[in-house]
Amino acid sequence: MVPAQWYLLLAAGIFCIGLFGVLTRNDALYFLMSVELMMNAANINFVAFSLYYGDLTGQVFALFVIALAAAEVAIGIGIILVLYRNFGDIDVTVPTEMRW
Amino acid sequence: MVDAFAYVPAVVLLPFFSFLVALGAGKYLPKGGAFGGVAATAGSFLLSLWVAATVAGGRAYNETLYTWAAGDQFELTFGALIDPLSALMLVIVTLVALLVHVFSLGYMNDEGETGLPRYYAGLGLFTASMLGFVVADNLLMAFMFFELVGLCSYLLIGFHFREPGPPSAAKKAFLVTRFGDYFFLVGVVAVFATFGTAAFAGEGSFPALAEAALAGSGDVWTPGGLGVETWFTVVGLLVLGGVVGKSAQFPLHTWLPDAMEGPTPVSALIHAATMVAAGVYLVARMYGFYALTPTTLAVIAFIGGFTALFAATMGVVKDELKQVLAYSTISQYGYMMLALGAGGYVAAVFHLTTHAFFKALLFLGAGSVIIAMHHNEDMWDMGGLKAKMPVTYYTFLAGSLALAGIFPFAGFWSKDEVLYEALVHGLNEPLLLGGYVMGLLAVPVTAFYTFRMVFLTFHGEPRSATARDPEPVRWNVKGPLTVLGSLAVVTGFINMVPVQKVLGLEGIDYLHRWLDNEWGGIDGLSSHHYADLGPYSSGYIGGGEVPTVLVGAAVSLGLALAGLGLAWRLYNVASPTEHTAKLGGIKDVLYNNYYLDELQVWIAYRTEDVAGGADTFDQGIIDGVVNGVSSVSLLGGNRVRRIQTGLVTQYATMLTLGLIALLVVLGVNGGWFL
Amino acid sequence: MILEALIGFTFLAALVVMLAPNAWAGRLAFALSAVPFVGSLYLWSRFDAVGNALTGGTIAFESRYEWVEVGGRTVSWFVGLDGISLPLVVLTTFLVPLAILSAWTPVDSRQSQFYGLMLFMEANLLGVFTALDFFLWFVFWEAVLVPMYFLIGIWGGPRRKYAAIKFFVYTNAASLLMFIGFMSLTFALGDSIGSLALPEITQALADGGLETWFGISPGRMAMVAFLATFAGFAVKVPIVPFHTWLPDAHVEAPTPVSVLLAGVLLKMGTYALLRFNFTMLPDQASALAIPIAAIAVISVVYGAMLALAQKDLKRIVAYSSVSSMGYVILGLVVFTEYGVGGATFQMVAHGLISGLMFMAVGVVYNATHTRMVGDMAGMADRMPVTVGILVAGAFGYMGLPLMAGFAGEFFIFVGAFGAPALPYAPVFTALAMFGIVIVAGYLLSAMQKTLFGPFRLETDYEIGPAPFHDVAPLAVLLAAIIVLGVAPDIFFEMIRDAAMPVVEGVSVDV
Repeated sequence: MVPAQWYLLLAAGIFCIGLFGVLTRNDALYFLMSVELMMNAANINFVAFSLYYGDLTGQVFALFVIALAAAEVAIGIGIILVLYRNFGDIDVTVPTEMRW
Repeated sequence: MVDAFAYVPAVVLLPFFSFLVALGAGKYLPKGGAFGGVAATAGSFLLSLWVAATVAGGRAYNETLYTWAAGDQFELTFGALIDPLSALMLVIVTLVALLVHVFSLGYMNDEGETGLPRYYAGLGLFTASMLGFVVADNLLMAFMFFELVGLCSYLLIGFHFREPGPPSAAKKAFLVTRFGDYFFLVGVVAVFATFGTAAFAGEGSFPALAEAALAGSGDVWTPGGLGVETWFTVVGLLVLGGVVGKSAQFPLHTWLPDAMEGPTPVSALIHAATMVAAGVYLVARMYGFYALTPTTLAVIAFIGGFTALFAATMGVVKDELKQVLAYSTISQYGYMMLALGAGGYVAAVFHLTTHAFFKALLFLGAGSVIIAMHHNEDMWDMGGLKAKMPVTYYTFLAGSLALAGIFPFAGFWSKDEVLYEALVHGLNEPLLLGGYVMGLLAVPVTAFYTFRMVFLTFHGEPRSATARDPEPVRWNVKGPLTVLGSLAVVTGFINMVPVQKVLGLEGIDYLHRWLDNEWGGIDGLSSHHYADLGPYSSGYIGGGEVPTVLVGAAVSLGLALAGLGLAWRLYNVASPTEHTAKLGGIKDVLYNNYYLDELQVWIAYRTEDVAGGADTFDQGIIDGVVNGVSSVSLLGGNRVRRIQTGLVTQYATMLTLGLIALLVVLGVNGGWFL
Repeated sequence: MILEALIGFTFLAALVVMLAPNAWAGRLAFALSAVPFVGSLYLWSRFDAVGNALTGGTIAFESRYEWVEVGGRTVSWFVGLDGISLPLVVLTTFLVPLAILSAWTPVDSRQSQFYGLMLFMEANLLGVFTALDFFLWFVFWEAVLVPMYFLIGIWGGPRRKYAAIKFFVYTNAASLLMFIGFMSLTFALGDSIGSLALPEITQALADGGLETWFGISPGRMAMVAFLATFAGFAVKVPIVPFHTWLPDAHVEAPTPVSVLLAGVLLKMGTYALLRFNFTMLPDQASALAIPIAAIAVISVVYGAMLALAQKDLKRIVAYSSVSSMGYVILGLVVFTEYGVGGATFQMVAHGLISGLMFMAVGVVYNATHTRMVGDMAGMADRMPVTVGILVAGAFGYMGLPLMAGFAGEFFIFVGAFGAPALPYAPVFTALAMFGIVIVAGYLLSAMQKTLFGPFRLETDYEIGPAPFHDVAPLAVLLAAIIVLGVAPDIFFEMIRDAAMPVVEGVSVDV
């Protein structure tokens, strides 16, 4: 059996890639994809621990997260569309109306 | 037989009902409710006579009638105390009030004044409050009615509220007496704290407890381990504050001359029988307490003597009839205070009695003159009224002779006894002797200003058109004048002590015997008892009582005649001129009342300045701090919100940094890095 | 159940009035508000409590239902009355109909909401005075602020927003302080209490149930809790230096709101001080007697001096409330029968008198549209009845005997002067009593300038007597003030009965 550390390392790696994407990209689509990566990193953790402890709850949670991610994509795409319609671009640094 | 004492509450309540009737229905009644007032005071007068007769029949009354607040700590009650003193005072007050009501028909109704229901309501409440004060059986009840008397004076002095002067005078009257009443109230509270009761009479009364405590056989509370006698002196002086305010003694006398803004009958009521008399009556009422503290007595005597002289000098230069009378009132009450301070309890009550009649007479006479003069009060516009209004003239003259202390009018007897008491007790007491000397010096001054007033008003040639053709007055003016005029002549005969002493006629000092419970009374409230308590011993001139009496009477009568003679010389001429200019700078000082009014106005303004400073402080500093707190939070919020840049990436960065920081903290705590 | 019915009816009435059309909301509100008043009179007639509700006396109309249990503490709906709360309940239900009546003239927009909020406030006030469970009490206590905020903020004067926010934030922050202080006290009581019922807490404190909690010793805990709750309630009373929200709130509030603010809301503060600080923590109160008496005296004199400096009639009355509340604090801190009883009596008396004063000033304002002393003169000429009652009310404020104010003040003074619990009591009392001179000074001079003398006011319309529905509540209030002044025992008897356990709760070396 593969030790849990390897799963954790993989998940941390994927999470960091996603985080890097969120922090460095201005493009909303990249954003969305990076967030998906981070969530899937969490999924890996859930499934890994589920396997490790022999408890199915983690896998159930992974399913929930996948459903949530689908919903999030639907809303995210919607937001991006609105963004494009209003600003002619999907650069997230442009709309700063909501500051202060 | 029906008991007169059962009707004591009715004496007080009858005028109170006339107040209610005049207030509620005066508009619809003839004469603005005047008849209700006349009927009520007449009823009270008759009941008072009956009560006095019952006292003369050898009985007295001291009952608690109503419990105001029934605590375990103190019982606060209302009751009635009828002894010779209060019975006498009841008769005086109701009689003067009745005559003032009748006179008001002429002075107010016939002159076409408006607002009569308010006027008669005020008179009714005034009389009721004063009567309540007179019958009070404890200090708290006395204080409460004392204050109500102050309220009524405010309402009546400010009767003509549409003019600028009267409201201001009313305010001053209430405020200055309130200042005195503050001390009185502290005194009342102190009496409760010290003795646990404020009753005037009986075994458990506070004078009796004080007497016992001084004799070392009682246990009373004193603050901070103060000596019993010192503390009693303090309490006595505190209560005296109210007396000084209401009886218009120096330095709280300034309200009284201003109070002349009220209608003249009101002035008569205030000065003769009610408000101003209340102060002196209070000292007489609790004389059993005052007699225990020599310091307080000396202060009373000195204030009295000083006020007698001080006020008399100011009366000399006044041009307005009522102003002269106002200062004479202050001066005469000074005599009463002198008598009380000198241990002359009976003398003070005697002077209170005679003064009530002759001062009411003088004010009503002045009112009559004012009607005749179409409300012009300046004596320099009068003159020659003697022929036009003989009834007023002769009664006014009787009153003036009494005021000046000319034999055998009422004022002579009472003033002589006051001075005699001060003299015989003062020969061993320097402070008291000072009071006597000032009182004696005031005698010629009094005679002078009194007759200056008489001559300027009634003698000589008329000096204005109205004086040549004065308005006639009716029965309702002349009637009260006649009654009071007769009383001013004869009241002195109730207490001819000098005659008794010189001729050796026993028993004609009726007032002495009356106040000494010879007919009836309450133990511990007799003049004998007070004399036993008092600190004074008597000294005599020329080796005995009789020479002292004769010398004292001769000196005061001689001085009075001298003052009268000077007034005769200067003013009893066809067209008198002002001689005040001869006084030079003194005239201005006197005319401006020694600038005491200015001083009080100055104090008032300084108080307002302090208040303004407090307001600035409050708005600036205290509220400034409050607003400062809110400004700081607003400003802080303004700064902190700058981190909301609106850039999602930055938010995400912060989120990450926060997470890392949290991990580090948890790690350090969990010991990962060790 | 009768208390629930009373409070519940008032809430319902608020709802009904809120939904009623503007045109007759005022009449409806007046009619509905008469019901709680009648109800409170019924309570009065059936009142049978003995002693103080907090110290183990019998509680009248007691009603208790368990609500929830949190952390080993039962929170319950627990209401009841004793001799201290009943007079205040009667005062509240008496003042609200009169205040509603006095609103008919000045309130001319969104009437249904206005009267609805007034009734909503009344319901919460009744809750404050009847609740005997801390949690329940606190809910009502806070809920009073909400209608008050809107009443000032919507129907107020030009600076209403400032005043409303200042009022709300200031008193709310104070409540927070008080809440923290009191809750830590209940936590420190540990297992000695099983609920947040005030009688139980009082009993536990009296039995020395405080434990060391987070290293805080019982003595320090009690002192800290005392200070926190005292400061919290001091804002509400208000006591100098926490008083500055009051004049602003009063000046901006419409007349009927001022009436309730001065008449009832300030009494919440003194009532809470009496219930919490002086009943539950008497030893701390007595240890701090000198500083508390000092701020009481400062409140009296300083408040009166501030009133002397004002030019706005409403500000004058507002500051004199600060002054009058100082007497109440003095009465509480001396721990004597007449002191504590007089303080409670003074709450009622001041509620009536300040209500009358604000109402009368409001009636004058309805006619003049100015409250500045310098702007008018001789109003007595045009509105004789109103001015007559205003003058009578002012004399009541000055403590004229045979009016309620004198009774309250005299009880406090006579109770305070020789009080063993307060060192230098005679000095403090005498200083505080000087307030009666200053109050006469500013009220008399304000009256002289505005009411008397030749009539002067620049308006483009005629000023005539006020309508009947403006004058009637004034007359009713005046009558009540005189009745209470002549026969204070109608309330004082039960107040004394409830105050005695408080007095006995303090340990003083006499």
